[in-house]
Amino acid sequence: MFWRLVNGALFRQKGKMLMIAFTIALGASLATAMLNVMLDVGDKVNRELKTYGANINVIPKEASLLDDLYGVDEGSGVSDRYLQESEMGRLKTIFWAFNIVDFAPYLDAKIRMPESEDAIRLVGTWFANRLELPTGESLDTGIRNMKSWWTVDGEWLSDGDTDAAMVGRLLADRAGLSVGDRLSVSLGDKERNLTVKGIFDAGSEEDERVYVPLPIAQEMAGRAGLVTGVEVSALTTPDNELSRRAAQNPNSLSVKDWETWYCTAYVSAICYQIEEVLTDSVAKPIRQVAESEGAILEKTQLLMLLITVLSLAGAALGISNLVTASVMERSREIGLLKALGANNAPISWLVLTEILITGVIGGVIGYFVGLGFAQIIGQTVFDAAINIKPMVIPLVAILVFLVTLAGSIPSIRLLLSLRPAEVLHGR
Amino acid sequence: MTKRSMYFKMIASSLIRRRSRMFVALLAVAVGATILSGLVTIYYDIPRQMGQEFRSYGANFILVPASGEEALSETSAEAAVSLIPSDEVVGIAPYRYETVKINEQPFMAAGTELEEARKASPYWFVSGDWPETDGSVLIGQEVADTIRLLPGNTFTMTGTDGNGESFSREFRVSGVVQTGGTEEAFIFMSMADFVAAMGESGAYDVVECSISAPQTELEDIAASVTERVPDVAPRLVTRVTRSEGTVLTKLQALVFLVTAVVLLLTMICVATTMMAVVAERRKEIGLKKALGAPNRNIILEFMGEGLLLGCLGGVLGVILGFGFAQLIGVNVFSRSVHFQAALAPVTLIASVLITGLACMIPVRSATDVDPAIVLRGE
Repeated sequence: MFWRLVNGALFRQKGKMLMIAFTIALGASLATAMLNVMLDVGDKVNRELKTYGANINVIPKEASLLDDLYGVDEGSGVSDRYLQESEMGRLKTIFWAFNIVDFAPYLDAKIRMPESEDAIRLVGTWFANRLELPTGESLDTGIRNMKSWWTVDGEWLSDGDTDAAMVGRLLADRAGLSVGDRLSVSLGDKERNLTVKGIFDAGSEEDERVYVPLPIAQEMAGRAGLVTGVEVSALTTPDNELSRRAAQNPNSLSVKDWETWYCTAYVSAICYQIEEVLTDSVAKPIRQVAESEGAILEKTQLLMLLITVLSLAGAALGISNLVTASVMERSREIGLLKALGANNAPISWLVLTEILITGVIGGVIGYFVGLGFAQIIGQTVFDAAINIKPMVIPLVAILVFLVTLAGSIPSIRLLLSLRPAEVLHGR
Repeated sequence: MTKRSMYFKMIASSLIRRRSRMFVALLAVAVGATILSGLVTIYYDIPRQMGQEFRSYGANFILVPASGEEALSETSAEAAVSLIPSDEVVGIAPYRYETVKINEQPFMAAGTELEEARKASPYWFVSGDWPETDGSVLIGQEVADTIRLLPGNTFTMTGTDGNGESFSREFRVSGVVQTGGTEEAFIFMSMADFVAAMGESGAYDVVECSISAPQTELEDIAASVTERVPDVAPRLVTRVTRSEGTVLTKLQALVFLVTAVVLLLTMICVATTMMAVVAERRKEIGLKKALGAPNRNIILEFMGEGLLLGCLGGVLGVILGFGFAQLIGVNVFSRSVHFQAALAPVTLIASVLITGLACMIPVRSATDVDPAIVLRGE
């Protein structure tokens, strides 16, 4: 009899129940979309922040970061320490290999142009080098992805070019170079003719440099297989107290803390792991990038969290409002049931069951619609799919359940307190 | 009783007598309006609020001597700085560099306004303290490692001043700077200390500015500096400005889409609730029709109610929405948000429209039906 009543209510009041299911579906899809986006936004924004370029600089031990001390660059221990180019593939074998987005080794050399006394910095690097990894995979990496803010007239170099160079805007203006010109450079007694394939605007001291593929620089400097340093762009977790302590001295941590630190993508942990695989290297976080990333990530996540909470609260109120409104208008039916001798408990169960069945149907539909919304947001904003987190399902289920309960219980209590005669009389 | 006062009496009494239902409807409208005004306020405030956060990347605008000039004279630097709108300035730090020696090893000393440098480069990690008294300096990590200095230690710096005479001065290390960049190889001291040691030159090597403005505005500032102060070359740090533009656009697009989705769904929620509230009054409509009321009057009456509800809900929403945006501003960005005055009428109109529309659908269907059928309860 109970199920017949439930059935009757669901099917005879099709329109009404459809509307409730529709609203619940809307609320559930909102919750699903917002929760999925919120849980994934950190990862997505982190990737966007990679446009700021490298956040880790790897240099040989004891080497100086500053190689342009006026007049003191020669013989101050600057240019006699190197890393091995052949070890670069190992960067993708560390514990957090997956988080290493891009990297580019570079070799600096001082060159001279004819009719000029000034030394110019020549940088040999990878542009989009295909690298065969020890793991058997291959990967394209280099500065082309990392220096996303460069504007290039002409074109980017490719790593196979044997006589091409890219010249910084300031240097090109000073030397009167334009795309397609020949450029003759000398280092010691070695001379080489290069074609200017591109002129770039970097808005920094790089504008005064000449960039060439790594092999050219190695040959000119007579440093086959060696590099001065590596710029690494890695996805990192914002620093906390533990990582700050570890950055000072990893050995001061307890075994358990050390493991937590090592297995979290803190910039200091990634640096430590890079030092483990590259011989005689020091990996330093570029604080300008690493620190700011953390700050912006935290703010974005907090912002999304608050917006999510607001929209969830809004959806919850919307649903419970509608449920309240639709339960209240059934006063006559409930009055009739009471007049026929039904107790309060079965009536409550009846109404609750109806609403909950509608809620489950609406919730399931809403969940899938919400996944669609999340993907639309992901594709439009980040050009990437939002990761679907299974933990959203129980959250949405609990939300829908609580909200429908919260919406129906007060109105049921109100209706039960009414006297059947009055209600039926239609006061 | 005039027709008009009867009209208002009917609306007022229907709102007051059906208190609980009307409260439900009002709540729905208010929630919708709150979400609308709150999210849109945040959407418009994002570039300003996040822009401030992005200043942790440091200087985005630098002034260097124009080509052919040796250094930036203080007067032209000041003239250039005065062209930057002062409410957008986060920090402006002038720098002078000179090679000095400690223990016969060469190092770079930089003189700057330390307070400003701290604001312009918030990412510097200083172990120890920022210098507060004369004669105390910040040294880079690399310098500290090379000559084994710790905060609190003193050292002697030698070099030649502007007049070619050698000097020897004692300094105290107040803190060690870590940045991961070239700053680690510098010794930073206040401009006063620097001038005391090296002598007055009346010029800077570079001025680093951190300005909270988008790239296009920085380009405008650069253009006006080039025009009015010819011996200064302004340059944008494109790594910072362009990347900031990219990321901010994405963030704003994210909030925009989220706002759109949330609004769409909330508005539908509001509409369904209103529909449910009005739909249960089919009998009343039937009764009125049976008593001879024309459809127009019935629709007008419901419109009046909807309008009143929409207005009330809208006003509540504007206030609550701003409160909510303020809450986010203070909690996330520790700054208050700007009240978007234009948003208040928009919120009001939107809530009135939605309530009106939502009322119309069930009222229409009720007025279209024969009153006898409605009254019979079909």
